[in-house]
Amino acid sequence: MNPAQTQKLPGIQMGLIGGVCLVILALIGIVEAFNERHIVAEVISMGHTLLLLTAAFVAYLTAARSRHLGFGRALGHVLLAGLIMSAMLALLVLVGQAVNLRQVFINASPGLYQILIFHQESLAAGIALLLVAGLLTGFLAWLLHLAPQRLRRVLITALLSIVVVGLLQDLLQPILGVWAPLATMSGWLFEVSGLSLPGAIGLAVLVAAVTALWSRQSTAVRARIQSLAPERQRNLKWAAILIGLAVLLVLPSVLGIFLSEVLTIIGLYVLLGLGLNIVVGFAGLLDLGYVAFFAIGSYTVAILTSPEIGAYQLNFWQALPVAVVLGTLAGALLGIPVLKMRGDYLAITTLGFGEIIRILVLSDVLRPWLGGAQGIARIPKASILGFEFSGPQEIYYLLIAGCFLVGFVSWRLRDSRLGRAWMAMREDEDVAQAMGINLVSTKLLAFATGAGFSALSGAIFATKLGSVYPHSFNVMISINILCLIIVGGMGSMPGVIVGAVALVGLPELLREFAEYRLLVYGAALVAMMLLRPEGLWPEAMRKRELHDNDIGAGEPDAPRG
Amino acid sequence: MAAVTIKRLVKQFGGLVAIDNLDVEVKEQSIHSIIGPNGAGKTTVFNCITGFYRPEGGDILLDDHSMVGLLPDQIVQHGIARTYQNIRLFPNLTAMENILVGLHSHLKAGYFGIVLGLPATRREEKEANDQALQLLNFVNLSGKGDLLAKNLPYGDQRRLEIGRALATRPKVLLLDEPAAGMNPKESQDLMDFIRHLRDELGITIILIEHQMRVVMGISEKVTVLDYGKKIAEGTPADVQSNPQVVEAYLGRGSSVQHTRTAS
Repeated sequence: MNPAQTQKLPGIQMGLIGGVCLVILALIGIVEAFNERHIVAEVISMGHTLLLLTAAFVAYLTAARSRHLGFGRALGHVLLAGLIMSAMLALLVLVGQAVNLRQVFINASPGLYQILIFHQESLAAGIALLLVAGLLTGFLAWLLHLAPQRLRRVLITALLSIVVVGLLQDLLQPILGVWAPLATMSGWLFEVSGLSLPGAIGLAVLVAAVTALWSRQSTAVRARIQSLAPERQRNLKWAAILIGLAVLLVLPSVLGIFLSEVLTIIGLYVLLGLGLNIVVGFAGLLDLGYVAFFAIGSYTVAILTSPEIGAYQLNFWQALPVAVVLGTLAGALLGIPVLKMRGDYLAITTLGFGEIIRILVLSDVLRPWLGGAQGIARIPKASILGFEFSGPQEIYYLLIAGCFLVGFVSWRLRDSRLGRAWMAMREDEDVAQAMGINLVSTKLLAFATGAGFSALSGAIFATKLGSVYPHSFNVMISINILCLIIVGGMGSMPGVIVGAVALVGLPELLREFAEYRLLVYGAALVAMMLLRPEGLWPEAMRKRELHDNDIGAGEPDAPRG
Repeated sequence: MAAVTIKRLVKQFGGLVAIDNLDVEVKEQSIHSIIGPNGAGKTTVFNCITGFYRPEGGDILLDDHSMVGLLPDQIVQHGIARTYQNIRLFPNLTAMENILVGLHSHLKAGYFGIVLGLPATRREEKEANDQALQLLNFVNLSGKGDLLAKNLPYGDQRRLEIGRALATRPKVLLLDEPAAGMNPKESQDLMDFIRHLRDELGITIILIEHQMRVVMGISEKVTVLDYGKKIAEGTPADVQSNPQVVEAYLGRGSSVQHTRTAS
């Protein structure tokens, strides 16, 4: 922020902004919904954590913005911001006691007010406590801002680790329960309803120690790896890859059925995301009808394998290539009418195409072949050499194989003549054409490849569910996939995985989020655009930006490919 | 022999006649400049030659093959490449990738060759990399291959754009104001570089340029446009002394004012 824009009274402004955020969070019911779960048992609930984190973040920003005012006045501003935020919540409680807000805000329940005043018997004591909490939050945020950077990072990591472990307790407990020594640790770490207090402190200390050690040693470790012979570096890399693979392979048996189910959902979205990444991320063609190819893949497998239709009754492996080929063809066919369209026009047209497919499968006319609204059920499971992909723990392997295949193909394509043509087209279509790139074939190849991946994903989806219904293929799927690509980083393949885990996996794990999924998507997208427009794991990170510093030294070009 | 022949070229935008019956003949391996005041239609000529615009009339020949009606990607494959007045690199690709895109039409890798990593494809990719490195070196950008095009300084971007055009292995290179925003030293280097292109690689150069020092310094022939019409043509010396050219650039001077006051 440049000096001309700095606020005159950061405490008041930031306090008001933060206060409005907190009141909104309270009124949309997210605080109360989150309060069911404790982060640290009997100490702090998830609802309080959410409010506290928001307030602390705003207070920290206030501290950063009032730094130029000097030591004492900065403290004043931060405290003021904290006080204003808590006062606005207090005001909400007071107004809520006097007037019935529930007619407008259905979530403004007595339960919410109880949470806000920390379940105190007397209103006055509760409000006093709330105000003190606000001041304290401000003070702590100010201290955190004063702390040297390394210490600050250690503290933030340690505190966040408590929040994360607390959030994921349902997930971690069964995993830790697998092995006896870990189970003992888990018993110490967790109580019935959350982290135990000693467990939380122990965890924070441990994480802090590891972070501190790592921040001291990471450069040295990295330098040591760099100084190894290239051959040994390669061995190290292969060892890391093999360990990663082994972890991936044993994951479902360690995690159990529920988490494997979550993993298969993530896997499906990764597969879809990698496909759409080719169309949107590489080639820059904004395709909002992507779900259509997913539906085509699913329905092809359903029609060819289900005894309900009965015409073909192939097995999954016979139907799979047909599904992929049909999806690819459909992708190319959709591409033809939209060849000349760009940007928004392309998005709207493809959106229409997605809806056409959904309405076609819903229609009564096609009911004898596509099952209409009832869909098609009794799709047989896939099996290979007697191993049946029945439950999520088995389907997982099918998806992993699919992801590896699609990831490999995307990776090969990206660093090729075709991938460069796609990216050139994304950057500047006219100039790309003037460089000798045939726009028609290049665009159609992008649409077709993406659609083929989507159809593959749809085929696996059909055998996973055992049935297909038209309503599984609504436009929200396309939007979700697009969101995860943007959050992960346009055009970045690891970004797709990160995005799928963040936007699809986390809401599945934190069931409280489910209702607020769209809100979280919206907030995440806005936050991404403001803070990290390039995505969580941007493609450019590959190496180019990292190499920026070395260029001055006249380093020769590293051989590529 | 003529490398590029423009015959009675007409280009209209609605009612506006941007190019009006233009005839130009560009000799093989010559450096030919097109000059004229702003809005004279210089860049429009380039856009017609490279297939961005389809002219309403006339013909454009490259070695006796008509280029009119071909798509830009076909024209570049015939051997005409260009740069742009406002630099148009692929900003989020590296310098290296920009050059590799220029090599696109000389690579043959097919879809399955790429996915399967066939030996022929790998060999071709490696050769393309080598060529791209050579080209980077040629335009004086060695060591900057991994930088994003948008992060390069202005002068480097100009040279990279020329490098990208050269990657298409053109017979004719169209340079649209390559010296824009350059100081005298830089334009001098650019002039040497352009001469070098012609002498070493045998490329015919067509140049749009506002810096008269550059135009007069390297051109063998100059065509002057005004309102889409050719008003003069000849050697730099001829053109400089042509009264019509002076008039187009400086206005009609006092004689016009006299007529105005009289009427």
